[in-house]
Amino acid sequence: MRISSSMIYEQIKKGLQTSLEELSRRNEELATGKRILQPSDDVTGSSRAIDYRVNISSLEQYIRNSTTGEIQFQFTDRILGSVSDSLLELKKLTSFGINPSDPQSRQFNAEQAARLRDYLLQLSNSRLSQRYIFSGFMTSQESFIYNPVTRKYEYQGDLGERNIPLSNGAVTVNIPGSKVFSTFLRGAAPSQVSDGTVVNYSQALDPFSGVNTITIEIGAPGDPEYDTFTVTNIMDMANVLSFAWRYQDIDGSSISETKAMHRIEALSSLIDDARTQVLERQSENATRQVFLAQETERIKALLNNLKNNLSKTEDADLTEVAVEIKKAETGLEAMRLASTKILSGSLLDFLK
Amino acid sequence: MSLFGLFDIGKSALFASQMGLYVTGHNIANVNTPGFNRQEIILETSNPVATQGGFLGRGVRIAGIKRHFDRFIYNQLLIQGQRLGMSRTLSNTMSRIEETFNDMKGLGLSGALQEFFNAWQEVATSPELLPARNLLISKAQTFLNVAREMEGSIKDILKEIEVSTGDVTERINSLLSRIGELNGKILQVESGLSGSRANDLRDQREELLKELSGLIDISYYEEENGSVTVVHGTFNLVERETVSGFSAITGNDGKKRIYVSGQDITDTIRSGELGGALSARGDVERYQLFGLRRLIASIIKEINLQHRQGYGLDGSTGNDFFTPINLHIDNFTRNATVSATITDMAQLTLDEYEIIFDTTNYYVRSLQTGSLITSGPYLSGNTISFDGIDVTISGAVAQNEKVVISPLRDVISGSWIAVDDLKIAASSSSSSLPSDNLNALSIINIFQTPISSLGGATFNDYYNELVSTTATLSRTAQDSMRFEQNLMDEIMRQRESLSGVSLDEEAVNLIKFQRAFEAGAKVIKVADELLETIINL
Repeated sequence: MRISSSMIYEQIKKGLQTSLEELSRRNEELATGKRILQPSDDVTGSSRAIDYRVNISSLEQYIRNSTTGEIQFQFTDRILGSVSDSLLELKKLTSFGINPSDPQSRQFNAEQAARLRDYLLQLSNSRLSQRYIFSGFMTSQESFIYNPVTRKYEYQGDLGERNIPLSNGAVTVNIPGSKVFSTFLRGAAPSQVSDGTVVNYSQALDPFSGVNTITIEIGAPGDPEYDTFTVTNIMDMANVLSFAWRYQDIDGSSISETKAMHRIEALSSLIDDARTQVLERQSENATRQVFLAQETERIKALLNNLKNNLSKTEDADLTEVAVEIKKAETGLEAMRLASTKILSGSLLDFLK
Repeated sequence: MSLFGLFDIGKSALFASQMGLYVTGHNIANVNTPGFNRQEIILETSNPVATQGGFLGRGVRIAGIKRHFDRFIYNQLLIQGQRLGMSRTLSNTMSRIEETFNDMKGLGLSGALQEFFNAWQEVATSPELLPARNLLISKAQTFLNVAREMEGSIKDILKEIEVSTGDVTERINSLLSRIGELNGKILQVESGLSGSRANDLRDQREELLKELSGLIDISYYEEENGSVTVVHGTFNLVERETVSGFSAITGNDGKKRIYVSGQDITDTIRSGELGGALSARGDVERYQLFGLRRLIASIIKEINLQHRQGYGLDGSTGNDFFTPINLHIDNFTRNATVSATITDMAQLTLDEYEIIFDTTNYYVRSLQTGSLITSGPYLSGNTISFDGIDVTISGAVAQNEKVVISPLRDVISGSWIAVDDLKIAASSSSSSLPSDNLNALSIINIFQTPISSLGGATFNDYYNELVSTTATLSRTAQDSMRFEQNLMDEIMRQRESLSGVSLDEEAVNLIKFQRAFEAGAKVIKVADELLETIINL
């Protein structure tokens, strides 16, 4: 083939350009640490990388969500523990404190019951991150308030259960207050108190709020010591007890010693039911907490996998890049040397 | 044969060598001139004279100056130039578009979309907390801003294509004029010199034709008189000195179309830079611009529909999260007025529609699927309803006039966040505020659900597909350009091998003609000495 001068120049130009392009590309790979600098470098690889990134971002968000859930679970657990302890304390008062002949003991029990009532109210209105955690969805208002007209404690929340999204479904992080603090009859209630007086318990559930009203009827209508009253939650119970030890109804009116003692005895078994219920809620909370922890671990493992995959897909092998750079540099140097030789000589140089 | 004949032979040798040196010098001088074809002097013996001893040679004469030119290679060069011009323009445009969708460098929408999705989760996790709600608004704003920037970049590229379409058209016209001028000059020069060729003028013309073929698909043929006729399709662009130029006229849709002699030839331009620009414009509009707008419209539609179901912290409901989608109307009728509204967002397919008229009827077609949506007799002032859209057209319409209705055209530039932190509807009921997150969870669910207006893809999948399409188009264009460039290089090598100047070769010629010149001079000197000998007898 006949070779013209410009063929030689063009060839050298092209060779230099190719070497410089290779060097520049490898340098960029080294600087960014990435093998794929734009999607067209590896269409399927970049598509996978975007997918991995989206998933990684999602999983990281799920981990943030789970942290919020974990905090709430821990907080709820502590509160439920305190509720349970308080109920145990209340139970002790009813079991050992029935001694009508000792006014001081009654006074003490009355004060203790009032303290526990207030403490339970305080616990039911626990706040985490500015929200009343036992109010269902209605977390901006207190779960329970004391109604001075009815002299009862009333639930203000609803049955809303907040689910926090996770990669695999969701987890419920709250327990509506009505499910914790409401009183429920569980199993067989005693049919009479210790002196043989008949006692009858009945309950009515409001399905919208979860509030369960228990009516306790002691004796038969017409009896001089016939008594009936209602409680809807454990604060009500503690309240009734507190007044009963003073031989008073919740409005402060006097009641007979017998009635008072009947009331204390009748409520004693309900405290057990309430405590069982709180323990069940605590267990439910713990189960969710364990599920969340397991799910978080699973997400973290998945996250690691995805990060590895992303790295394998888009990251450059730096050793290989370094070697390639060296190769490209050597190639370029050789090209320059050869070019100098080729370009420096022409027959015209030899015609003196 | 007199002694003076020897002078003539010597003189002819001097002239021929001198001419050889001129040609060699011309070759050396043009070693780097683009399109120059090396020339060679063709020598032949002068007519001999008959003598008693036979025919006696009378020296040398110049038969011509030959240009080393291969029409076959040159034609290949022109065709390849058209392909290369097209693929280069496509590759450049697609590489730039790809940068807009380069999520590998953190550009592109996927990050912002994902953060918007994550922010909804923050709201779902803490629906009563204002910081989570403010975060969502900020992330939604960022998402819209990124979409706007991307659309802006795409529009900028499209604008540049429009500008370059105009520029290329002007360059084409300028080249056509110069080819016409050169036709005239070549005709003039060659008609005076029978059998001789205006080599350098032809080189110039061929270089211009080569440049022209890089811009648009043309063919040409040479007339017997030496002029070339340049043809595009059925149009003679240059015929002798007569030139029919192109005009790039901006249409109603803001896009330039190319005309020759009053006829629209846009769709017949398939290669060269102009072909590349027009093809890139079509691809970018069809894939990137439409795809991005459709994705954003779909997100706005789906989120708004669900958001309306929920309740804000302030108890309000029925609110859109984003400002609602507006219809863009392109009215290509002379006398009719058109108004259009969205009556049912849920039915919106996010296709664009064309309403076209004949003498009595209207026909609504989807611009995306091409299918007929509805049709009927046109009555001025009546409302045409289809796919959740009501269009009212009043006034006279003529045959083939049309109206284009697009829910996508303004969707990115015209969308904003329509709620404040309190109005974000995370709750499913006004009575379960503030911690009800059921509506927020439903919105989160949308992000993971196949969307019918996106062909059954999720938002993320659709975007990923858009990036892949862009990357594939860019990759194909780059590969194609590399391939065409290699082919071009090969053809150029063939051309250079035949027509290129070799300085070494020319140096040899230089010596050759120098020596011949010296020898010719020597012949004259010898003749002179012989004459002197005779004179001194």
